Amino acid sequence: MTATRYAELQDVVLDPSFPELDLALRRGRHIDRDDLVLYTLLTDAQDHLEALYRRYGCELIFKTDGYFYLLPTGDKLSRRQLSSGDMLVGQALALLFLDPSTIERGGRVTAEDVVAQLAVVLSGDALIRAFYTTKRRFDERVAQKAVRTKVAEGVRHLAALGFVELSEDAEIVLRAALMRFAEPVRGAGQPAAALAKLVADGEVALVRQDDTADVAPAGDAGDAGDAGDAGDAGDAQPGEPTEPDDEDW
Amino acid sequence: MTSQRRDLDRVITAIADRKVAIDLSSVDICFLVALHMRAEGAGLTSFTEHQLEDVFAHASSLVQSEAEHIRRRATHAIQRLRDQRMLARVDGQGVVRTGEFALTRLATGIVEFFLEDDVLTRTSLHVLIASLRSAINDVLGAARAATSPAQWHDGVVGPLQVSISELVTGIERRQRGLDVQQESFQGEIGRLIEADWFGALDRCQELLESTSATLHELNEVLLRDSSELLALLQDIEELAVAAHETEAETMAHRLMDQIDRSVAWGSARQRSWSDYFQYVHRYLRDVVRLDPTRALTQRLREQMAGEGAKFALTYASAAPIRILRTVALSRELPPVTRPRATREKEPITEPTDDPQAVLAAKVRGALDAGARTLSMVTAQVTADLDAGERFVEAGRIAHTVAQLARVTAKVERPWVVVGSDMEVEEWDTRGSREDKQ
Repeated sequence: MTATRYAELQDVVLDPSFPELDLALRRGRHIDRDDLVLYTLLTDAQDHLEALYRRYGCELIFKTDGYFYLLPTGDKLSRRQLSSGDMLVGQALALLFLDPSTIERGGRVTAEDVVAQLAVVLSGDALIRAFYTTKRRFDERVAQKAVRTKVAEGVRHLAALGFVELSEDAEIVLRAALMRFAEPVRGAGQPAAALAKLVADGEVALVRQDDTADVAPAGDAGDAGDAGDAGDAGDAQPGEPTEPDDEDW
Repeated sequence: MTSQRRDLDRVITAIADRKVAIDLSSVDICFLVALHMRAEGAGLTSFTEHQLEDVFAHASSLVQSEAEHIRRRATHAIQRLRDQRMLARVDGQGVVRTGEFALTRLATGIVEFFLEDDVLTRTSLHVLIASLRSAINDVLGAARAATSPAQWHDGVVGPLQVSISELVTGIERRQRGLDVQQESFQGEIGRLIEADWFGALDRCQELLESTSATLHELNEVLLRDSSELLALLQDIEELAVAAHETEAETMAHRLMDQIDRSVAWGSARQRSWSDYFQYVHRYLRDVVRLDPTRALTQRLREQMAGEGAKFALTYASAAPIRILRTVALSRELPPVTRPRATREKEPITEPTDDPQAVLAAKVRGALDAGARTLSMVTAQVTADLDAGERFVEAGRIAHTVAQLARVTAKVERPWVVVGSDMEVEEWDTRGSREDKQ
């Protein structure tokens, strides 16, 4: 057990920051060093909280990159998975996080940078197919605008989950939790094996190929509150190929 | 529009009217830098035309080694710099002989900016603050001894305006220099990592730590020494207030503001650099050290482009706690009804007030009281009325008199004044009409 200022779980629960921390974790938020108060509480009470959440069928995960999150492994606490659009935005943000050019700006990027990163990795048509429509004919101007809107919505959703932070000057502050998007390819081994292990652990869920392009063109954006409102994806079991939860997209 | 805004507009308009512009190529800037360094090295205060051409030739050989017609290009460069007030002729001999030239303040400022030797360091800050402390102490002594406005001006206001203000401005200028240096460090760290991913770690750490240490030291010195400087200036301000020396008071106050700004700068820069330091430190530790071959970026790109199975991250998504509203019994409200009341009212007889009858009574009273002419009756009846009403009432009175009394009039009826503002044609009254009947 680490050196802790909490002798018992009761002491942790009585901490004034505990309700906020508990709600944030249950709503899927990733907590890193930038959330100083909550992060300190988590590190100080890690052992107590791991035991507490295990009783709810969840694992309190700590990554060496410096962030915590709650991963439901049973059926007591509902869980969801990111939509294909959110996944693409998250991976683009992770690429920007790894890019040395963002160091000069202290890890701050703009929404335009995210779209540009997506356009570099995916071709323009693939981008429109992923975010807007699979139809062959479309108005390019409308489609591009829709892509930008969808990317902005994705960024907002990821911000609600603690992957990034939106600053007052409309910049996106990249956070360590973005490295979750790179987990399958971080190890030295084969990505397929790493992915299989992540699926087995319940960290990720496989998505059917035909679902990825099936993104509603004009869905309402969701935020953290929205993410918690609908618990319809809560019965997914680790390892099961499930449909992406595009409700928020 | 505020006076400050008006001043700004006036200054901008004046500068625009002068059509001020600066257009310097990199050769021109190198030429200026070479002149500045040659002057410092050789202790020159001015250059002859021949020396200018030599310096240009040297600078040009470094920047544009293949360029030809050096002498002609030097002539053009010198003229360009003179046109833009970078070089000034200082001998005052005109066409009598070849001139001597010196760098202007504008040129020196540009050169110093590019040489970046005006960066705030611990040593330069110590020297500046020691000079500042000594100068302010002298001024405080002068302020204590000053007994006349002339002594205040020469011993206090003058030094505050010139020497002390220059020293404080010197600190601010060096702070801006450090800002520029920090920005270039940030760019350099990015470029170093881009160029030599894992090999740049040590150099980046060194840059980060040296800048952090510099900022920490500067902030410490600023915080420690500024309070003493502010206390000295406060004493000068109080003495100026007591002596009713407004100018000295204003100057002392302005300098205190400047010192406060410098202290605030130190804290703000240290805070922002601390955030940047933490970010880059984490980046170096979590990204660069853990991925020495920089393979992660490429593998992530491939994953994003669709290689391998598609997957989605899972996350906890507990529904928000539902807090049910407390049930409260709704109060039974009585139906809305109108009050039962008789709206129709029975007509009642009200006494009428006949103005003609009232007037007739008044006229009769006047006649009974002995009024024998129309003017007398009119005067009595209208005595209590306003001027405007009297004129209207006069006609009715004549009509009533004619009804109640027997009246006679001469062929030439005289006009008789009634009150101060009215005349009537005079009638005589001879008893009432009822008497005649």
